[in-house]
Amino acid sequence: MSLAVDAVRAELAALVGPSHVLTDPAACAALAVDGKAPDCAVAPATAEQVAAVLRYASEHHLALIPLGKGTKLSMGNPPRRYDVALSLRELNRITHYEPADLTISVEAGMTFGEFQNLVGRSGLWLPLDPRGGAGSTIGGIIAANAAGPLRQGFGGPRDMVLGLKIAITDGKIAKTGGRVVKNVAGYDLGKLLTGSFGTLGVIVEASLKLFPKPPERATFTLRAGTLGIARDLRRSILRSPLDAQRLVLLDSPATALLGDSAQAHERPEAELWIEVGGTHRVLERCRHELRQLASAVGAPLAGRDGAEEAWERVSNLPLWLQQKYRDVTVLKAALPVVASEEFLSRAQQEAEAERIALASFAQVGVGIVHLCTLQDTLTGGLLGWVARLRQAAADLGGTLVIEHCPVDLKSGVDVWGAGGDDLDVMRQMKSAWDPEEVLSPGRFLGGI
Amino acid sequence: MWRPEDLMLYEYDALSSLRQPDVVAFPRNTEHVVQIAQLALRHNLPLVARGAGTGLSGGSVATEGGILLAFSRMKQILEIDLENQRARVQPGVVNLDLSLAVADEGYYYAPDPSSQKACTIGGNVAENSGGPHTLAYGVTTNHVLALEVVQPDGEVIHTGASHWDRPGYDLTGVFVGSEGTLGIVTEVTVRLSRKPEAVKTLLAIYDQVVDATRTVAAITARGITPAALEMMDGFTLRAVEEATNAGYPMDCAAVLLIEVEGLKEAVEDQADEIEAVCRENQARDVRRAKSAAERDLLWKGRKNAFGALGRISPNYYVQDGVIPRTRLPEMLDFIGSIEKKYDLHIGNIFHAGDGNLHPLIMYDERNREQTARVSKAAKEIIMRCVEMGGSITGEHGVGFEKSDLMPLIFSEVDLELMSRIKNLFNPLGRLNPGKLLPTGKMCGELRGGLTGGGPV
Repeated sequence: MSLAVDAVRAELAALVGPSHVLTDPAACAALAVDGKAPDCAVAPATAEQVAAVLRYASEHHLALIPLGKGTKLSMGNPPRRYDVALSLRELNRITHYEPADLTISVEAGMTFGEFQNLVGRSGLWLPLDPRGGAGSTIGGIIAANAAGPLRQGFGGPRDMVLGLKIAITDGKIAKTGGRVVKNVAGYDLGKLLTGSFGTLGVIVEASLKLFPKPPERATFTLRAGTLGIARDLRRSILRSPLDAQRLVLLDSPATALLGDSAQAHERPEAELWIEVGGTHRVLERCRHELRQLASAVGAPLAGRDGAEEAWERVSNLPLWLQQKYRDVTVLKAALPVVASEEFLSRAQQEAEAERIALASFAQVGVGIVHLCTLQDTLTGGLLGWVARLRQAAADLGGTLVIEHCPVDLKSGVDVWGAGGDDLDVMRQMKSAWDPEEVLSPGRFLGGI
Repeated sequence: MWRPEDLMLYEYDALSSLRQPDVVAFPRNTEHVVQIAQLALRHNLPLVARGAGTGLSGGSVATEGGILLAFSRMKQILEIDLENQRARVQPGVVNLDLSLAVADEGYYYAPDPSSQKACTIGGNVAENSGGPHTLAYGVTTNHVLALEVVQPDGEVIHTGASHWDRPGYDLTGVFVGSEGTLGIVTEVTVRLSRKPEAVKTLLAIYDQVVDATRTVAAITARGITPAALEMMDGFTLRAVEEATNAGYPMDCAAVLLIEVEGLKEAVEDQADEIEAVCRENQARDVRRAKSAAERDLLWKGRKNAFGALGRISPNYYVQDGVIPRTRLPEMLDFIGSIEKKYDLHIGNIFHAGDGNLHPLIMYDERNREQTARVSKAAKEIIMRCVEMGGSITGEHGVGFEKSDLMPLIFSEVDLELMSRIKNLFNPLGRLNPGKLLPTGKMCGELRGGLTGGGPV
């Protein structure tokens, strides 16, 4: 920070009001990113104030990290600089809502839980189960393009954003898209901002497409003794007329972690979990189809009651597992669908060789594989293991990202991996939006 | 190709006849496109990509001359990977040909513009095309995963990936719908969808337009998202019926063509519920297609409606606007009042479920006074869309025609940000010049002669 900390705090207080600036060291420490705490935090009450803070930061070469509830802050490289935490939590109003249009406009800081409750009263939902769950915010979900297992049935935030209001670093507020469900006017900058991890502009409001909530849901589990059986099941489910909402393959340690107490005495085995939604009649049909698919490969089928809590844990691997294993590392491989089982097999071999205890949660229908290390302390071989798995993912046509790990590990590796031949264009994009490198400097791919 | 009589074939799209390019080139591969881009750069010539020329906003016409890149010889399907549900294609592949190539295995490519027998995937990417079945499945951008793009200096980049969540900015999402102003797409990776187990097609017949439009939001309010929900008014319907014998009733005020897809059980329940909603909203009759042949006939009527209208009027102008679907009854009333005010015939045929209007204004281009009235009527309709919180285009694109309407929905700040993006990719402005962003010459006006009209 080029200015004296006290002067910055005073000037920010002049922009947003003293009660919206946080200077307490403990509060700032709680907003640390990769061990680095900001000098202060601001929580503007309006979009215009967000823009004013951005302009101020640009003029004084301050580094900001925008955040909602901070549930996804462990994603990303350590910031090169970090002076001020920009909290969006005060921007939490609904600005437009017409349930019959299945559209809503909402400020970025509204929590996902509050949002779902509100639209749920009209039988609607945003079919997402992002990391952070009910405690995350709409803006954070979009900035991280955070999708959990529900993407099997509904896709990700990218496909649900109709329009955005964005505060940009020159202190202005820009709009992209609109609030109608179909719109091709102008460049779709909403796509660019979705998943940009707060490095281009600050999302202050979003217009979203809503979906009717299925009247009933059911989760079934299929025992998948080997990866071969899992592959056969995945193929037959994806080829069947069933529309799975969620489809996750748990290895035996993952099954044990999620196990319900009734089966605690049994030796856990790998399981494929599938959730379907619809009317009672549709669910009966799904049960029937699944029973047939299961018997064809000799895999017992069971219904699982009260699965919602378990699904929430699968969406929230770092936060959940951290309670048991302090130094948990979560890797996410994104692969062609056909490569999921092959990658899992490689990962298990490599983990055994390094004596790393592992649990895997694989969204096999969309090629997303989460690997979680189950240990209390960082082991020396972890970086080498990550590098070999990254190579394995690349060999199979995919990518591997470190979604969560102890800070120490980050000094030796780019959590995003290598960029492609479009990385230069991405760097230019960053310069076009944020020439002074105000927003989350160094956190994104290739040091962007 | 450079002879004037050859170039004439490339001076128009389905919007209108605008201007000839100086030369038309037919690349066969990416390397050809790179070389042509470098040539255009050396000679400071505009470079305009074109698929089948079925566009409705002048997007693929070289309005400032230069080199037109016709992709008709880059029409190979490079790879089909059914287990991953992906296909990699050259931009000149015809939309329907891709679906046909995977149909036997039970797959298809979801976006289905009404021109799908002719229009190309590359053109669809440029315009972010929609179609009747995008209500449930989304438009082109929701099905395009990765692109190969030649930049105006000849550099080739690859955006996106055939798998989810590639780290970095979603440049694919920016290129789709950028109307050829940010780069030349030379390869497209798309998602293939699995055909549903069951389809039910219903035709709801109404004596009052307002009852049909009220039904639309009533269906979604019941928690049903049909695969398609189209409306045609009586005027259009009678023209269509005379041309196609699709079996539409000749004496009604409007019909809704509704399709639900999915599991057999879901589709049966939904069809029953939709029928009930239609009847609650005073539908005179609700018919269900009893066979694939009957279904095809109903869709044939819808997809060929534009040709049918061409039979009864020398010219027609298609407007493309979007409103929230709950405002449909009000909007149709308004269009009726515009019809009277300007003494014109306006047919309504559109994607009702999305609130995507396509009023068709009949006219005779030889009647200049009438043509002027058409322009005014079209403008008033689009202004009303904007007032209702909608958009100036739902699927046809901004192109040449609507670039000066952009300030109606975007502020100076919004447009400046878009210019920044354009300058980053297309710093000399030679890629498809005069499209998408306002020219600043005629703020708030529709551009382009009113002579065209194609399938919507």
